[in-house]
Amino acid sequence: MKASILSALLLVVLLGCNEDDATPTKPIDDDFDPTEATLLKSGTLVGVGHTVSGTASLFQRNDSLLVVLDPFSSQNGPDLKVYFSKDVRASSYLSLGALKSTTGKQTYFVPGKPAVTEYMFVHVWCEAFSVEFARAELK
Amino acid sequence: MNRAGLILLLISLHVFALAQSPTTTFVDFTGAGAKFQGSAAASVQRLWSVKAGKFKIGTGLRITSYFAANQYYATAPAKLTSGKTGPLVFFTENIPANIDSFLIKTPQVNALNAMISVGYEISPKGWIGFNIDAIGFSFGGKTRGNYINGFAGANTESKPTTLNALLISDNDWGTLNSELYGKYFIADRWSVKAGLQFLFTEYTTKTKVQQQPKPNDRFRRKSLLVAVGFSRSL
Repeated sequence: MKASILSALLLVVLLGCNEDDATPTKPIDDDFDPTEATLLKSGTLVGVGHTVSGTASLFQRNDSLLVVLDPFSSQNGPDLKVYFSKDVRASSYLSLGALKSTTGKQTYFVPGKPAVTEYMFVHVWCEAFSVEFARAELK
Repeated sequence: MNRAGLILLLISLHVFALAQSPTTTFVDFTGAGAKFQGSAAASVQRLWSVKAGKFKIGTGLRITSYFAANQYYATAPAKLTSGKTGPLVFFTENIPANIDSFLIKTPQVNALNAMISVGYEISPKGWIGFNIDAIGFSFGGKTRGNYINGFAGANTESKPTTLNALLISDNDWGTLNSELYGKYFIADRWSVKAGLQFLFTEYTTKTKVQQQPKPNDRFRRKSLLVAVGFSRSL
């Protein structure tokens, strides 16, 4: 019986974050000019059990911090969010909002005034099902 | 004799009267489910008949196992959810600003509790009943969850809250099961039942992830499940 319960749970979890049309798929091209901002650090996005590729970068523009995904391409999934975190497990993070699209250049404002040196990772995270899709370590 | 003595005497007489009443002892097995949630429970209950045998009251011991996927838990302590403690919490509106979420991917909690049980015989073949866990303890594996509070969050470790205690509404601690059901006897000793299960499960995070308005590490889920089961009289 325990095996049946575990199998059912596993099925729910696996189905939960598989391909789905929950995130817009229309290619996006946010209006962001990197020559008008200062690049602080960047890293390559690596898929975590999912197909994701691209580059995540942290820019400072005036008093604002921005995370930019460009280029970017991701497998689809429901309730995908962009997290900006202090460590590889996102033990402490800032949610930058819902992923705008599965493809194209996209920018996200970093809320608050976090210490830039403490935040090292950008994650694409399926929040409803607690599944990490991808991460980039910013250096 | 002072008032306390009189109350004790009355309780003693009542307990003595109950002890002389006909009893029913049975084992009960219940399965319950809702979307992405389920539970299994087994109990031993002993009920005493009062009021010409129609009304039954008693106690028992129940073990409940809850399993689910992707469930949101909410800030648990009454002092945060209602801004106060005590029995009046039951009638107090929640304070949404004080209630944060803790999302657990695969919650699994087991609880062993002493329970209170009542029933009313509506016919020789059937009765309706209600039971609720009163006190006990919980156990289960550690699991990581996602604490969500606006744009700030934390993925952190948690485990089932160990102590269970029925203290009225959000004053409750831990994992507590309750059932409202109808029971039908299909044979001399065997009966089937169906009803609703209202199950509180609770996790405690490794650190006090919630800081406002007061530090907190307890998060509760209130689940309403459809329940079916069977019993065998001993």
